[in-house]
Amino acid sequence: MKMLTILHAEMVKSHRHNFHNKLIYFSLLLWPALLFVTAYYSFKPFNLTDSSPLSAYMNVDQITMFLLTGYLGYIFFWSLVQSAWNMSYERQAGTLELIFLTPANRLMIMFARAAGNLLEAVWLFTAFILLVLVVTGKAADIYWTHVPLALLLLSVSAIVWGGFLNIVFLFSRDAGILFTIFEEPMQFFSGVRIPVLAFPIWGKAIAYLFPLTYVLEIFRDLVLNGKNFTQMIGQYSLLLTIILLLCISSVFLLKKAETHAKETGNMVLY
Amino acid sequence: MIEAKGISKCYTIKKRMNFFRSEKQIVCAVKKLDLSINEGEIVGLLGLNGAGKTTTIKMLSTLLNPTEGQITVDGDDAVKDAMKVKKKINMIAGGERMLYWRLTGEENLRYFGKLYQLSGLQLEKRIAYLLDQVGLSDSKDVPVELYSKGMKQRLQIARGLINDPKYLFLDEPTLGLDAPVAKQLRGLVKDLASQENKGILLTSHYLEEVEELCDRVYIIEKGTIILHDTPEKIIASVVKNYHLMIETSSLSVALQNKIKKELVNCTIQFTDLTDSTSIHIDAPFDPTSFFINICMNEAISILKLELKRPRLEDAILTLAKEKSA
Repeated sequence: MKMLTILHAEMVKSHRHNFHNKLIYFSLLLWPALLFVTAYYSFKPFNLTDSSPLSAYMNVDQITMFLLTGYLGYIFFWSLVQSAWNMSYERQAGTLELIFLTPANRLMIMFARAAGNLLEAVWLFTAFILLVLVVTGKAADIYWTHVPLALLLLSVSAIVWGGFLNIVFLFSRDAGILFTIFEEPMQFFSGVRIPVLAFPIWGKAIAYLFPLTYVLEIFRDLVLNGKNFTQMIGQYSLLLTIILLLCISSVFLLKKAETHAKETGNMVLY
Repeated sequence: MIEAKGISKCYTIKKRMNFFRSEKQIVCAVKKLDLSINEGEIVGLLGLNGAGKTTTIKMLSTLLNPTEGQITVDGDDAVKDAMKVKKKINMIAGGERMLYWRLTGEENLRYFGKLYQLSGLQLEKRIAYLLDQVGLSDSKDVPVELYSKGMKQRLQIARGLINDPKYLFLDEPTLGLDAPVAKQLRGLVKDLASQENKGILLTSHYLEEVEELCDRVYIIEKGTIILHDTPEKIIASVVKNYHLMIETSSLSVALQNKIKKELVNCTIQFTDLTDSTSIHIDAPFDPTSFFINICMNEAISILKLELKRPRLEDAILTLAKEKSA
């Protein structure tokens, strides 16, 4: 009950604070849709037949679906980088200190903040993808029975990722650099536009630093390839490990951040 | 009761020596400070800028850990039992920060109320009561960014009371407010202590405000308490300068000399006017009763009497001068 109260409070606050202007809903659709269209047409001039170099790593007939799923995952994760970046507003407004003045569960606040922002940030683009599927006639290529599980895994992973980032931004007022690190590199290396298998070793090493990489592989295998549970045990285990690692790191970093703030008073510095 | 025993707060700061080198320095904002706040009492914390007032408030409100010493709130340790303590306290700072400007006044209160685990009817009743108390019921649905400075400050007060705290820390609550709004807030603070039995710690640069509201005052200088007493006693112990201006019917020279002789250690100036005498006295005590007795005994009419008592501000200025000398 307490958890739900905090979750609800954070969701309402985020909605009122970040989505106060109706124009923002256009940007929620327009920006990711443009990203997708840009990526799609940048592939167009190239050879996308079976003789294409890409065909060694993916089914080139599925390029539309590959990009759509890639950008869906990316929007889930990227929206939470943006949300974490907004922590600097809380710092400047002094509300961050007020949150820590309350006896509310801090970990719950951090994850609730991510969950609250996620839903608002992704629903429009998700609806857009459904529309594209219908219009392009690709809906038949989807394993619809796997979609709920795939979306659940994507959402949970994104929320854990978002909560972790919120805590990192809490820890340091100079964490804005993460915004730069996670924008283009995450989009490029996580397999949003190009399959991770196509990268050289060093590229693969970078790719697997991003949790989005693991989630996208599972998402595509579930939704596009229709793989069943037993075929994906290894992938699930890996994702679970990543999620656990993020959760443990979150708990550790949060404690460290609050202790550090109580020692240095840095929560009001911006 | 809130009790702070021997609390200090030291920070490690980096002093930049040149582009490549910086040196670590330990700076203590608060040193071995003892302080107590009882329920229903308003306690003032005064000092010049950088004296350590805000650091003290942040330690008492669990936002900072003291480097040494102990703070207890009704027996609970503010460091070890911080979560328990947080339920009993709240803090209000002056200025326009610490609110979500895009949210309405009511939404701000609802958000913070939920963080204090209030919900449902209990929360809605509390919000309505507080909005009414601070006179914002009619503006509850207006975004805070459209509020005036005074309205934002009143909302801050409501936000600070959302969890019905036993103890409240007010850090410059009337900063930048115009006189009527400041007066209204002072009335509210007084009521919180007298009617709701809340223990309040107040810092303010408006010393008349502190003199009017506080039962006891701590004066701190460079992190150390240099004086602690009631405002009246502080004034009496630090400033001994009463100025009396009295205009009477004409006084004879003999009587003027008698007065001068009796009032030792005082500066007296007589000015004979057409039908009256004007007297200015600077005394280390209140000379009013002395003059009233003389006038009654000698059947002299008092035409005008004005006494300027020393204020807390005079006491602080005197202390500051003594410290800098």
